[in-house]
Amino acid sequence: MSEQMIGRRETLKYLGMLAGTASGRDFLAAWLPSAAGSRVQAASEAPHTPYSPQFFKPEEFRTVEILTELIIPSDTTPGAKEAQVARFVDFIVFSAAEFRPEMQREWIDGLQQLDRLSRDKYARPFAEASPQDQEALLMEISLPERNPDAEHPAFAFYGLVKDMTVDGFYSSRVGLIDALGYKGLAVLSEFAGCTHPEHQV
Amino acid sequence: MASEPLYDVIVVGSGAAGGIAGYVLATQGLKVLCLEAGRMIDPAKDFYTHKFPYEWPYRGGGKPGQYGHLPQGMEWKIKEWTDHLYTIPDQDPYALAPGAKFTWTRLRAVGGRTNVWGRGSDRFGPLDFQPKTLQDGWGDDWPIRYEDVAPYYERVEQLIGVSGSHDAAVYNTPSGEHLLPPFNARCGEMLIKKGAAKLGIKVAPKPLAVLSQPYGGRPPCHFCGACNWGCDVSARFSSLDVLVPKLQHLSNFELRTNSPVHTILRDPGTGKARGVTYIDAATKLEYEAYGKTVVLAASMVESIRILLNSRDREYPSGLGNSSGTLGHYLMEHVAFNSLEGFFPQLAGRPVTNDDGPGESCLYIPRYNYGAKNKKYLRGWRFDFYTGCGMGPGPGAAFPGFGSSYKQKIKELYPAAVSMSGYGEGLPFYSNYVEIDPDGLRDRYGIPQVRFHTDAEYPEALAILDDMYGGIEEILKASGAEIFPYKKVAPYPLGSVTHEAGGCRMGSDPRTSVLDEWNRCHDMKNVLVTDASCFVTHPEKQTTLTIMALSYRAADHLAEEFRRGNV
Ligand SMILES: Cc1cc2nc3c(=O)[nH]c(=O)nc-3n(C[C@H](O)[C@H](O)[C@H](O)COP(=O)(O)OP(=O)(O)OC[C@H]3O[C@@H](n4cnc5c(N)ncnc54)[C@H](O)[C@@H]3O)c2cc1C
Ligand code: SF4
Repeated sequence: MSEQMIGRRETLKYLGMLAGTASGRDFLAAWLPSAAGSRVQAASEAPHTPYSPQFFKPEEFRTVEILTELIIPSDTTPGAKEAQVARFVDFIVFSAAEFRPEMQREWIDGLQQLDRLSRDKYARPFAEASPQDQEALLMEISLPERNPDAEHPAFAFYGLVKDMTVDGFYSSRVGLIDALGYKGLAVLSEFAGCTHPEHQV
Repeated sequence: MASEPLYDVIVVGSGAAGGIAGYVLATQGLKVLCLEAGRMIDPAKDFYTHKFPYEWPYRGGGKPGQYGHLPQGMEWKIKEWTDHLYTIPDQDPYALAPGAKFTWTRLRAVGGRTNVWGRGSDRFGPLDFQPKTLQDGWGDDWPIRYEDVAPYYERVEQLIGVSGSHDAAVYNTPSGEHLLPPFNARCGEMLIKKGAAKLGIKVAPKPLAVLSQPYGGRPPCHFCGACNWGCDVSARFSSLDVLVPKLQHLSNFELRTNSPVHTILRDPGTGKARGVTYIDAATKLEYEAYGKTVVLAASMVESIRILLNSRDREYPSGLGNSSGTLGHYLMEHVAFNSLEGFFPQLAGRPVTNDDGPGESCLYIPRYNYGAKNKKYLRGWRFDFYTGCGMGPGPGAAFPGFGSSYKQKIKELYPAAVSMSGYGEGLPFYSNYVEIDPDGLRDRYGIPQVRFHTDAEYPEALAILDDMYGGIEEILKASGAEIFPYKKVAPYPLGSVTHEAGGCRMGSDPRTSVLDEWNRCHDMKNVLVTDASCFVTHPEKQTTLTIMALSYRAADHLAEEFRRGNV
């Protein structure tokens, strides 16, 4: 029973469902007229407290910061930067050593792959490319998400990064409360439910 | 240990079935020893009701890989909020025959799984006890009828506190006459009610063992929605919070924790049970306890395991197994992936607190009675969940990244909907459990079980297709957009935590283990009162019926004591 509490209590379950099927394509055509649109916002100030990554090397950590902030930018509401999602990623990947060491390998390999792609295209590692080039490269490797016929060798790594970014952001106070506006897990004296006349039977 | 006293009744387990049996027997003056495998828990220390994900080291999900491989239907239960309560399968494994699957959810503590359960509390109906006679000639009827159980449903509802509505009764889904008021429904739930009404399908308040008013000295629900982590104020029923406090001060009731029962002791002279053996979980030493009767209420699998492990010269294939059906006819709902989507008409609306009493407030009881050209047997119920949850919701499924992606998540967050179906699970002799022939033992050294269970039988495959169709139809009529989905094979037995059967009741001792009062045909002073006694498994949830049957069996046993028949 209440397996569907998963939808209400679990941080994430949907990711990656839509890619890859014909019905998914139709669904997206109807619901995503502007699938391509994503703009990088000006970066706000770095969080104040200094942080030494536990797992990533400093230059790798910088790349993780850029990636998470591209996926969930700071705009009218706070984003991955304020929620310190890169630190979350560092901590989780560090903690994987005990029971899921292959996760560490996936991140190292993925970051190296990203740098290779960036060097081929822009003659510099990802972290040193311009913000426009970084976004363009991410668009490129995420293409299979929007086009079921497309393939990209770095798409698996994109999925890994997006999953953990969304998970880390919407399970943080900044993401869940400040950006999303979750109001629950509270103590109420009354639960009014739906009070909209237009929804009543 | 010769100094052990002689109890009137030894109750094994303190969950839904054991809690009720202990309560009924002890409050009628019998001398009861309750042996519980797990520890005592303290809600103030053991329940993390009001903890947000960001207050946990790993946001609630545990260290990557920490819980090992979790079978279907277990992933969402074991989290940082609860990992100290549940038994993690890889740490205390059970065996599976080649190709078999079974999801065995264990929570060894006072109160058992009622500490974290979903609280859905619907009654079985008249047709559910006599499906062969009243529905389709298939399978077997129970040896009892709805009328035999109805008074006990009533008593259990009064004892535990159930919110719902008597007006909600629909054909073959009876509803109590004295329930507490139902909970108010969320926007999305109202949209489904409207949509289903267009199709002539009734949506009803879901009976929940959650208090909508102060009741029995317990406060009402404060709508935090965290019941699956344990309720900090006992606003939902659990044996630990509601029954144990009524018993602890009684001098004729004794609760012994950390005492997993291993076998039933039999007196070779009289042929009757004379007590049990149990392990002290701390020292692993084995002890004996003596009783005039033994009530097994350790949960379906555990009660069967105790009987199988109690084989002796006279019962070489397990105590109470002269019929050869012990451990057979295991059942579970026909269950599968839920369909997910969103209501465009709710997109972008202001965020509301949709937690409510932690469960959905409405549901769709079985509605297909009298349907023509059915390709399957029996029917199903649908559950649905809507609104703002503790996570990004449907927008996260969309492709892309950046501000537009974040905006999509925000927009669809209040519009989420998912719906799932639970079909009647059918009993087959070939779905069974045995003691592992390869000698696997549990953490106490007790021989462990091996499952031979297959959920993908033809009747399950047949009903599945129509359930998918039914869900699509209702969601569409409600105006929802459904994400593309893949149809899957029915989930393993046990995946809904509604496993039942294995010691089924019956009037014929050659084809059943228990009589109509939950007593072993072979040995009338051994009772089994958990879901293993079930003969059928309709689309309804199990626990209210477990409790009603346990109440009924214990009440009858107390009467037998008074009459001097024990
Ligand atoms: C997350 C979740 C949600 C659920 N939602 C619902 C729902 O909405 N509606 C519904 O009807 N049901 C629901 N259930 C199922 C419900 O919890 C069970 O049906 C019910 O608790 C079964 O009662 P029981 O007494 O048979 O077993 P349990 O409640 O599991 O109690 C068994 C007790 O026996 C003890 N025990 C086990 N072995 C031994 C032994 N050898 N010796 C001594 N003691 C032993 C255990 O430690 C435990 O305390 C849910 C379950 C879970 C986990
Ligand atoms: S929603 Fe109600 S019953 Fe559930 S944990 Fe919160 S207060 Fe308890």
